[in-house]
Amino acid sequence: MKKLITKIEGEAILNITGDKIVEMVEIEFYQFRGIEEYLKNKNFMDSLVINPRICGICGHSHLIATTKAIENAFNTKITKKAKLFRQLTLNFEIIENHIKWFYITLFPTQIKDKKFLFKAIQLSQNLSKAIALITGQYPHTSYAIPGGITSDITYLELSKVKNIIDEVLQTQTLFEDLKLFFENLPKEIGKSNNRFLKASEVELSQIYEKKNQKHQFVTYDNLFFEVGPLARQKENIKEIYNKYEDSIYSRIYARLFETIELLKQNLKICDEIDLSEKSYIKPNIISNKGHSIIEAPRGILIHEVDILNEKIQNYNIIVPTQFNLSSDKNMLSAAQKAIIGEKIEYIDTIFKCFDICAVCVGH
Amino acid sequence: MLLKPKIIWIDGVGCNGCSHSFFNLTYIDTLLNKIELLYHPLLDTDEFKIQKSDILIIEGALKDNFQKFNKNLIEIVEDLFSLTTKIIALGSCASFGGIFGEGILFNKENLGRFYNYKDKIINLPGCPIHPEWLGYVLEMIITKKPIVLDEENRPKEIYSFVSHSGCVRNEYFDWKVDSEDFGTKEGCLFYNQGCQGPFTHSSCNKILWNEVSSKPRAGLPCFGCTERNFPKINLFQTDTMMGIPTKIPLGVNKRAYLTLAGIAKSLKNERLEKRLFEYEKTNNKN
Repeated sequence: MKKLITKIEGEAILNITGDKIVEMVEIEFYQFRGIEEYLKNKNFMDSLVINPRICGICGHSHLIATTKAIENAFNTKITKKAKLFRQLTLNFEIIENHIKWFYITLFPTQIKDKKFLFKAIQLSQNLSKAIALITGQYPHTSYAIPGGITSDITYLELSKVKNIIDEVLQTQTLFEDLKLFFENLPKEIGKSNNRFLKASEVELSQIYEKKNQKHQFVTYDNLFFEVGPLARQKENIKEIYNKYEDSIYSRIYARLFETIELLKQNLKICDEIDLSEKSYIKPNIISNKGHSIIEAPRGILIHEVDILNEKIQNYNIIVPTQFNLSSDKNMLSAAQKAIIGEKIEYIDTIFKCFDICAVCVGH
Repeated sequence: MLLKPKIIWIDGVGCNGCSHSFFNLTYIDTLLNKIELLYHPLLDTDEFKIQKSDILIIEGALKDNFQKFNKNLIEIVEDLFSLTTKIIALGSCASFGGIFGEGILFNKENLGRFYNYKDKIINLPGCPIHPEWLGYVLEMIITKKPIVLDEENRPKEIYSFVSHSGCVRNEYFDWKVDSEDFGTKEGCLFYNQGCQGPFTHSSCNKILWNEVSSKPRAGLPCFGCTERNFPKINLFQTDTMMGIPTKIPLGVNKRAYLTLAGIAKSLKNERLEKRLFEYEKTNNKN
């Protein structure tokens, strides 16, 4: 049986065997755009405008990964202020992403009620505004450039940002809605390989990516890993994780937990920023290779760049969904393992609990 | 009761950024209540099928052999075109091809493959689209009001302005005080940082982004994302010929502009030559 999955920032096809219970599933992505080719021979600065446009929901993560990869090549140091602002806006994107994913992507697989869409929109508009106060606009800003950030923020913007965080913290009802979501859904389904990977643990040389395939294939140390909020937060949600392991419930809980944690962290960052520091220090441009490995909303995001005389010779991008939604006949990826053995009726919810970004896969 | 206009919104080759930008429209809830959304790439709707619609929104570029719903994108688009009354080419990809492919009505240098549908099409370039621009166009269509279009089928109410109108760095532009580098609120980005504001048709600094800001307010140049040639190469550099910008503000004779610029620079605005203010180092421990 072929099942077309839509509304995942793009599309995917599941090839499923099994009648009532899934015996085997293979995951196909088929929309490709060729960003890496497009970047060749362009000035390295152009990638700061092009790469956020890889994705409408997590483009800011691509910007941060791009600028860090270039800085890695140039061996650039930036001020603490620039670092903190970048972390602040990246956190906001993760927060906004989780909220949209929960209410707009995941909720309708169980509960059809427009009220939740508007809840997501109300919160996410506020978060977009917080990002825009620092970066000029959201989506698709390019404010993080090699050497720091372009904006020269004053306390006028910063205090507004803090107020927005307070408001979002006070008005969100994520955990009440989580209860509602699981009223008619078992919490134990969707268990997977129970093998996780975080950006801080990654050695680039251990990553293997098969390129230009319908079936994604990204391994670390020759194994498939799950990346994302559960990988990042499982130590912090031990009670839930010990009880439900890497089930759909833990996966969703980790995302919501992280949303609240990052909001609180952002309040702290706002207080830590010293506005008297420089936003930007001109980097020393050299011809070299560089890379970055960051945590994006859905997990590990890798950018690799090769710069010669200010021009991009090669660019390579590996996105979190390629890890989680790899597909193979012999070895099972996190998403394959989570779906196999479960009832057909749960496929959509289990699949989407990984928070898939098909446009990122089709970069 | 009047029937709500039926809308089909599909995505071609793109990033869904226009959809996410639209989610930032403050009155999106009232707007969505005035329409019947038959399909949207992200919002919960019935499954996609080829059917009649009053408004068809295409987000993203066109490209040969690009698969969509397990079919060919171009064929889907063609089928939908004949079954709709108005077509909105949403964002720079659908309008002109953008980064990823072809536009509907225009490509960067020639006419698009659906130029014969010109009378049905409204182009809304921008990467991404500004939520209020789309909100306005939908309101106009829903209430059956005429939208005045320019020669590239863009609504004049949005695109007869330039992105420079309303820029907070205008004083620096007027007195020719350039930003020497990134990261300061002072200085104009037109001479060294590649700002295309003075010749880019958009109202980004008139109708602010997310209601609060715009690129130059955050120290970024305008990248000209509403224009047919977006993205140009060397986006952070001003194209010059013998040290003079090759593109100057719209509607001005180059010699007249350079004369005026020379005079302004020689008269020196002392207030703008130095930083407006700087913060003292703070102790953030408490």
